[in-house]
Amino acid sequence: MSVLRRETRHMLFTVAPGALFILVFLVLPSVYLVGMAFLSSGPYGLPTLPLSLQSFRELAGFGFLGWSPGNLYTLIRSVWQTLLATALVILLAYPAAYYISTRPARWRPLMLLAIVVPSWTNQVIRSVGWMNIFAPGTPVSDLAALLGLTAPQMGLFPSQFAVIVGLVYNFLPFMVLPLYAAFERLDTEQVEAARDLFASPVAVFRHAVFPQTLPGLMAGIVLVAIPAFGMYVVTELLGGGKATMIGNLVARQFAQASNWPLGAAGAMIMIAVTLIGLKVLRDLGRRLSGDREVVL
Amino acid sequence: MSAGRLENGLRAFWIVLLVFLYAPLAVVVFFSFNSINSSARFAGFSLQWYEQLFRNEAIVAALTNTVVLAMVSTIIAVIIGGLLGYGFYRYRLGRLSWLVWLIYLPVIMPDIVFGIAEMTFFVAINERLGILSPGLGTMVIAHVTFQVPFVALLVNARLLSLDPQLFEACHDLYAGPWQRARFFLLPVLRPAILSSFLLALTLSIDDFVISFFTAGPQSTTLPIYIWSAIKKGVTPEVNAIATLMIGSVFLVAFFSLLVQHGPSGGRPSKGGRRA
Repeated sequence: MSVLRRETRHMLFTVAPGALFILVFLVLPSVYLVGMAFLSSGPYGLPTLPLSLQSFRELAGFGFLGWSPGNLYTLIRSVWQTLLATALVILLAYPAAYYISTRPARWRPLMLLAIVVPSWTNQVIRSVGWMNIFAPGTPVSDLAALLGLTAPQMGLFPSQFAVIVGLVYNFLPFMVLPLYAAFERLDTEQVEAARDLFASPVAVFRHAVFPQTLPGLMAGIVLVAIPAFGMYVVTELLGGGKATMIGNLVARQFAQASNWPLGAAGAMIMIAVTLIGLKVLRDLGRRLSGDREVVL
Repeated sequence: MSAGRLENGLRAFWIVLLVFLYAPLAVVVFFSFNSINSSARFAGFSLQWYEQLFRNEAIVAALTNTVVLAMVSTIIAVIIGGLLGYGFYRYRLGRLSWLVWLIYLPVIMPDIVFGIAEMTFFVAINERLGILSPGLGTMVIAHVTFQVPFVALLVNARLLSLDPQLFEACHDLYAGPWQRARFFLLPVLRPAILSSFLLALTLSIDDFVISFFTAGPQSTTLPIYIWSAIKKGVTPEVNAIATLMIGSVFLVAFFSLLVQHGPSGGRPSKGGRRA
């Protein structure tokens, strides 16, 4: 072993434990999962040989009874709910981040903490909170019924509305933090200059604020949209059958429905969509910032 | 002027936002003291759910599991992840430089895919070798796997902000690797280690999906207990358990404020130490 240079030994000592951990307990399992997608579903839904593309056919909706669009709808719904929730998060996070960045410096850490603390509680507990608020007979549900938004005596969950609220609630802090970081570094002279030139508030935002906060926004979208797309807990607890996302579809194959290869194929689709999403964001970021590289 | 209107609007917006953020938690805490099992009507103050909770052995076991899982996985992750962050900073990896990309993998992978990959892998290993049967052990492994990258990134970021000449100074003073770690690295990395400890801890406490898929019958944690109670439709103590967990999060939040602003916190205090 003395052949190894001291430097190399130290490198192995520091890097090896972490790298091995991730290799053995994440890369290897992922490779196994990918392989599983190409196996057949045996008794009890466990993967067996021979190799087949059956899972992907099934995932695309081809079953015993011919083609059904159910899974395709689930995928489209996942993307749609992710986009909607992300857009709402952006709308809430911009004024919040701006407001925090304009407060006296000693208040800012406390305000940021106030934004972040709810996200430190467990996901399940956050959903339980909204279940309490949206249950039948609560003031909020009664108000919704009074306004004719729901039938009387009905709660506001399970519903797609509750899922969107849950998603926004879960991921808001991940947008506020990077946007705040961008606002803190904001070059206010540009904004002043725009104001002096009698730019309308919209124009000030578009030409002076938005380009400067774009890197923060892009980072925020990545932090919000990726986990939102893979959401399981919120949809399971707050959504009914009409709000299921692909994460629930995949999970079901390993629990009730039990078809591991089908679930593995679904997981691959999730990863693929996530990677495509990252690529789209990257291109979008480049285009919006005029070919300058933006994070990612 | 419109600046004043904007200011007032933003303040109102901020208050509404705080209500939105804290209402779900407040409602859970409030109804945990309800004398009936309802979240629509408050019938009177009572501690009965808390009494039931501490008499319920399953819940006490779940509480223990939650704490053990969070602490053990966080400590392991901080050690392994800290070393990794340091190694990536200090040494040229040469042909192994692709390893750096490894730490982004757990970050971009959806929870559910992560959990399922771990679960199927553990099952496959267990069938063939008889080790890694689902339980606290597999949960710790899974948690460490998703905590390590965040710790490594934080420690690495802190190192990148240091003056590289400090390392040469250590060398010039004939500090060996252990002395360098003891007298230079640990002190300068202390804030990063503390914050990565808190981050890893909250990641572990926040996680449900990965725990859920890697848990065994004996290793139920509080979130898993709440989950199955909801699924079975038996919910009396759920608000009380949730309140305890919310309370512990507020303790961590308070502690993190102390870390940031305490007497020996990360940044130098106002007066400066120039004497």
